[in-house]
Amino acid sequence: MSPAANPIPPKPGLLTALKELPKNVWNSIFRNPLPSNDLEKSATSFTNFFLHIHPVKVHKHSLKPTYTLGLGLISFFLFVILILTGILLMFYYVPSTTQAYDRMLDLRGTVAFGMILRNMHRWSAHGMVAVVFLHLARVFFTGAYKKPREFNWVLGVVLFLLTLFMSFTGYLLPWDQLAFWAITVGTAIAGYAPVVGKDIQFLLMGGTSVGQEALLRFYVLHVAVLPAILTLGISIHFWRIRKDGGLSRPPEADATPALEFSAPAATMKVAGPESRKTYGLQGLVRGPITKAGQVPDNTVFSWPDLFRAELFTFVITLSAILILSLLFNAPLEEPVNILHPPNPAKAPWYFLGLQEMVSYSAFWGGIGIPTIFVVLLFITPYIDRAQTGVGKWFAKERLLANTIFLTFVLANIVFVIIGTFFRGPNWAFVMPW
Amino acid sequence: MAVNLKRSSGTGASTEQIQRRRMLGWLTGLGLFGSGILSAVSNFVFIKPRATYGQPQRFSIGKPDDFPPGTRATLGARSLCVVREGNKIAALSTTCTHLGCIVGVSDTGFACPCHGSRFDQDGTVTGGPAPRPLPWYKLTLAPNGELEVDKDIEITPGSYLSL
Repeated sequence: MSPAANPIPPKPGLLTALKELPKNVWNSIFRNPLPSNDLEKSATSFTNFFLHIHPVKVHKHSLKPTYTLGLGLISFFLFVILILTGILLMFYYVPSTTQAYDRMLDLRGTVAFGMILRNMHRWSAHGMVAVVFLHLARVFFTGAYKKPREFNWVLGVVLFLLTLFMSFTGYLLPWDQLAFWAITVGTAIAGYAPVVGKDIQFLLMGGTSVGQEALLRFYVLHVAVLPAILTLGISIHFWRIRKDGGLSRPPEADATPALEFSAPAATMKVAGPESRKTYGLQGLVRGPITKAGQVPDNTVFSWPDLFRAELFTFVITLSAILILSLLFNAPLEEPVNILHPPNPAKAPWYFLGLQEMVSYSAFWGGIGIPTIFVVLLFITPYIDRAQTGVGKWFAKERLLANTIFLTFVLANIVFVIIGTFFRGPNWAFVMPW
Repeated sequence: MAVNLKRSSGTGASTEQIQRRRMLGWLTGLGLFGSGILSAVSNFVFIKPRATYGQPQRFSIGKPDDFPPGTRATLGARSLCVVREGNKIAALSTTCTHLGCIVGVSDTGFACPCHGSRFDQDGTVTGGPAPRPLPWYKLTLAPNGELEVDKDIEITPGSYLSL
């Protein structure tokens, strides 16, 4: 089988073809072998569809678990779990006021794995709200939203709002008491928005009260419209990370590493064979990105370091959700009774801060203050233009910004705690002990 | 456009052509933008229901004799509370004006379980975040002797129907 010896290779026999079938099929799918040298390591990102979103090399600072805490990745993996369990749940769910609740009972009682699928979906949803917010807080506290990452920050805030809307539309679907009254209250809050409020409320509910039309609308939003927008948004979010020069890092991280040579920059070379050839493509990318041979190299190949870190994060995330789902069952309240709201009627924990604020003033608590917070989040990178304090947790230079952000967060946490533990029947203040 | 075509063979042809091209570009952009706006608006028109499938807003609640003097009866499915004092009768909404929960009848009037709004017997706000009093609906005595409520028409609180 040596082409050098014989220009026309001998026709392989059928037996040989059959014998080599598994190997040939494998090689036709995976052109790159398991990497054993730097060239093959860099080729993993180019030759595998699922890996090609990754850069060939990644900055060492980006791999520090203490910097990112892996929160963005965890959010994404939770989203993947939600999509998969959600699609499975769709096989048994019917968005009808007369059937939805019974289907919930079926999932609990008769459908194989129905219980654990619903648990996984519920806990991942709660987890995603929490982790997406923590991710946002991480990016804020490390000043990672600054130029050139302003737009990706804005996109991230949009994704956070979509995540909240996703969970909001999701919890009408079981058609239990919590579902019905939370959506009644939530759509009424939308009704307080100036000018368009009443129209939005009418559009969301498809009528004047929460009923079959509202259930169908929320279902369509939850299983089709929002996941599609969220998927698109996440894709752009990831794409922008690379186009913006990878994850944020402090300027020190790009300093010349203490290598054995201290040659002038013009003659500096990056260690490793084939380096120029392999990442010549990256020379086309504008912006602060590692260019081979031009800047000091603090990077490592994505294979295996980055992929291993991602796999580790995925396994941890999935395990945590599985354990939670085995230990705790997703709550299901009484079926809807449109005559009697539960007393007190409480939203899920992440909206309890909002509900507590709404109990003082529907407009300011439900529309005014949240809008101010969201607008502040959106414009932060365009107001805070100083380039100092990027890539460090709680940098001294960012004391003011971090304090303002923390104040909002703590205020919300306090409201959540009051709403959760200190509110009794008729939303009266009670002591939890 | 015909004028432009004739001139394009002259010396200023290239400038003319560029201008025409630019105008065509503008028109194309405008057309695409307009279509985008149109389709967005059509989508909103589409998802805004023309007919709703809920209960009718105008309905009969029974004979006056069903509500003897002194009655404060809630009609759950209609989100109504019928109040009769002597020969005066009225229908109040039991939908909280804050965020739409159903208020319960309490000793002093009405109380909302969702965010703690409180109302007195006439539906006036006495506490909590509710921005408006509970609405009073138009109540009429139909020719067949039945009381008829129209939830589309709010009347001044305190105006009873005399029987």
